[in-house]
Amino acid sequence: MSQSLLEVRNLRTYLQSGARQVKAVDDISFNIPKGETFCLVGESGSGKSVSALSVIRLLPQGIATHPSGEILFNDQDLLTLDDAGIRAVRGSQIAMIFQEPMTSLNPVLSIGEQITEALYAHNPDISDSEAEQRTINVLEQVQIAHASRRFHDYPHQLSGGQRQRVMIAMALACEPQLLIADEPTTALDVTVQAEILKLMRKIQEDTGMSMLFITHDFGVVAQMAQWVGVMQQGKLVESGSCASVLHQPQHAYTQQLLAALPENLVKPSLQAALELESPAAPLLSIRDLQVFFPINKGLFRRTVDYVRAVDQVSLDIFPGQIVALVGESGCGKTTLGRAVLQLEAPTSGSIKFRGQELIGLSARTLRPLRQKMQIAFQDPQSSLNPRLLIETTLTEPMKVHGMGDSHEHRIELASQLLESVQLHRDFLWRYPHEFSGGQRQRIGLARALALNPEFIVCDEITSALDVSVQAEILQLLLSLRQQRKLTLLFITHNIGVVEYLSDQTVVMYQGKIVEQGGTAQVCQQPQHTYTQKLLAAVPRLKTSMR
Amino acid sequence: MIKVVFSGESYAARVWRKTRNGVGVEVGLAWIGLLVFAAVFAPFLANSMPLLMSKDGVVSAPVLHYLSIEDAWVLASFFIVLLVYKLKIRAAQRIALFLLGAMIAAVLVNLYVSPPKLVIYDDFRSPAYTQVDWRIMPPIPYAPTDYLRDLVSKGLEAPFETTGHLHLMGTEENGADVLSRMIHACRIALSIGLIASGIALFIGVIVGGLMGYFSGIADMLGMRLVEIFEDIPTLFLLLTFVAFFGRSLYMMMVIIGITGWSGYARYVRTEFLKLRKQDYVQAAVASGLPLSSILFRHMLPNGIAPLLVAVSFGIAGAILSEATLSFLGLGVVDAPSWGQMLDQAVKSSSFNWWMAVFPGGAIFMTVFAYNLIGEAFRDAIDPKLSDDSGLE
Repeated sequence: MSQSLLEVRNLRTYLQSGARQVKAVDDISFNIPKGETFCLVGESGSGKSVSALSVIRLLPQGIATHPSGEILFNDQDLLTLDDAGIRAVRGSQIAMIFQEPMTSLNPVLSIGEQITEALYAHNPDISDSEAEQRTINVLEQVQIAHASRRFHDYPHQLSGGQRQRVMIAMALACEPQLLIADEPTTALDVTVQAEILKLMRKIQEDTGMSMLFITHDFGVVAQMAQWVGVMQQGKLVESGSCASVLHQPQHAYTQQLLAALPENLVKPSLQAALELESPAAPLLSIRDLQVFFPINKGLFRRTVDYVRAVDQVSLDIFPGQIVALVGESGCGKTTLGRAVLQLEAPTSGSIKFRGQELIGLSARTLRPLRQKMQIAFQDPQSSLNPRLLIETTLTEPMKVHGMGDSHEHRIELASQLLESVQLHRDFLWRYPHEFSGGQRQRIGLARALALNPEFIVCDEITSALDVSVQAEILQLLLSLRQQRKLTLLFITHNIGVVEYLSDQTVVMYQGKIVEQGGTAQVCQQPQHTYTQKLLAAVPRLKTSMR
Repeated sequence: MIKVVFSGESYAARVWRKTRNGVGVEVGLAWIGLLVFAAVFAPFLANSMPLLMSKDGVVSAPVLHYLSIEDAWVLASFFIVLLVYKLKIRAAQRIALFLLGAMIAAVLVNLYVSPPKLVIYDDFRSPAYTQVDWRIMPPIPYAPTDYLRDLVSKGLEAPFETTGHLHLMGTEENGADVLSRMIHACRIALSIGLIASGIALFIGVIVGGLMGYFSGIADMLGMRLVEIFEDIPTLFLLLTFVAFFGRSLYMMMVIIGITGWSGYARYVRTEFLKLRKQDYVQAAVASGLPLSSILFRHMLPNGIAPLLVAVSFGIAGAILSEATLSFLGLGVVDAPSWGQMLDQAVKSSSFNWWMAVFPGGAIFMTVFAYNLIGEAFRDAIDPKLSDDSGLE
């Protein structure tokens, strides 16, 4: 091992929240050699971000305390520095990039101004022209095309991937020795993520800086890290070289995390159920569906153009199948899912459910059909009405559709529903905010199941969850599908989930379906260039370690 | 083990129970309760005539004899509210029953209550009422319009500046008891705030809710309507109406109500625009729930928090509007109101602190109380702020 740049010894970070003290980081030690990358990996709440913020001392004083520990950066203990001392280190020697590119840049300053500001702060005697030249250089370094022209652009004129590049450029402007990256690609599409990761590896090769890379994605770890630390509840349960941790995990928790990855999950055999159902007529038949959103301009809100969210989509979904709808953000997959349920008004086309046309039906004639088609959502925070008890959320639709003889009977049905999604029946008498993300997603599923539907649209229901919770939800979905003979339209951007779960795969790109077919066929022999690009961009444990 | 405690409690009952948690709201409710009590029982609390007296062996109740139609109706309505509150029925039925009861009471009162047209307060100080076997006087033995100017050397008396008559809060320049006037003014203060804000809230929630939920053309038309009503200067409209149609409390309530809804409509609209794309609202639509449930059960409670604070200020604002009009000398002529009393304090040749402090303090306390209640209500509706979940 070459010489260490950063050495963290027995670091503890306690956070004070009211009278409660949370041991966010509990006695962790690791070191990062010069020019290499250390990945901290763990589930949400495991303390990996707090560890990184402790290193750069960005945690609020008074709330965060360090009862023990040393953070040696070039043999200097950062924890003993005063405010001025740490400010001199921050930005110039240790830089940080954050997860959310949309909010990390100041919207009222041009990107050039934001980068030069960091330069002026750490080099007070730098001339204006020199600062501008260095900014353009660093923008070129992060491969922003026409860097000198984009200097005066504002953040809203850039795409998400470009913004993250600008964030990296800002971090690199002062040529730091250590770059802390806190989930820098989590909010990005997988193809953009692949480009950013490649860029970061190239910059590391060129400049020889070290990286502390925080992620929850083992695929990303496999691509980036020389060294890996696995965190669980503030403790570093396992650390070592990337290959040894990922392929011979010693700690039970690491093994469990790796086993929960969709690509490692054991898929139960469902062939028997499928063959029985497949010759039937399609349950849902979509023809030439278009959903356009008008762009209005001017005094009279004249429609000048349309956003073609869904453009000429035709799709058949057969009973008993799980159809995965894959695509990057903004490709129209969510709009398609909502248009099928008539939550979004289609511009033209036809949607037939069991042969009955849905488009143009009045709310009254649609109501009995709504019972057959339900939806489950992505965001566990907003998918349940925060003001209503779970009981009300579950029994109200039943009452409207005349299920159950009495209120008591409906409560009994709702309890059974909760049990079928593996929750305690007393959870009926709680409010949504009392549950974790995974529990809320289960309740969301229970609500979708409340009316005994035949067809459920699952809109990215596992995207906001940790891998181990995601694995539980996916297994639950498969068992529910078999018990209740459900047909699912599973909208996702996660190829691993698609391969694990679905029978059919549909790939969407810019509002159009570019490829569809059996999941095995689409994922192993992609025909369309976009599908090939998408699949190649997925960070995988196995392929990247060849 | 999880134990279910409040399983059968309705949403409204739960919110009310949580609203009551806290000291501030208790103070606010106590003050409003005091005002309600004073407003309902004003003729029995402050009056020049005996409540009950016995003369030559004949027991009579002059207060009841002189009870006005308004007094009788307010009393009847109060008891109907108590009765309806005791009955175990649904909220909608309660409201309907109360409205029905209040209407019947109004008809009956108009038919059967016929007080003497003229009240001469000096009569009650004549031997016919003083030389009796025994009599029970109200706690404050002065009617609000019982002007004692001729009885005492000067009209203006500071509190406890006794000249044979005890005035807890002093007298105004005509010699009427300030405390008595304060008590009788409660009725105006309460009713104008509640009724004007009620009208405004009703219109605002419906217009704003429809704008926000349907958006598009409904939103555009609604917003133009809101803008038109926002441009109407309430005070000058009130002045105009007073000039044309004379002074009437009810007219004031209606005008403040129908010019005040635009702010509420804006609040509701913004919240609904935000909420309609929320997943749980979409889930409600996907479950085929009726529009009324989507609007009033899934959206309104989630969007009502900013509205409640606005309403508490709105009630306060309506009270202040009435006070302003009365202060300008355009309020109701004979009945005392807090604003009119402030007006008197200012117009008086010398500054008499008791004429400004008591009505001003009452206005302040009432506005403050409504704000406290509004805040508590907002917190109660937000389940995140409450550790009480119905589970123990």
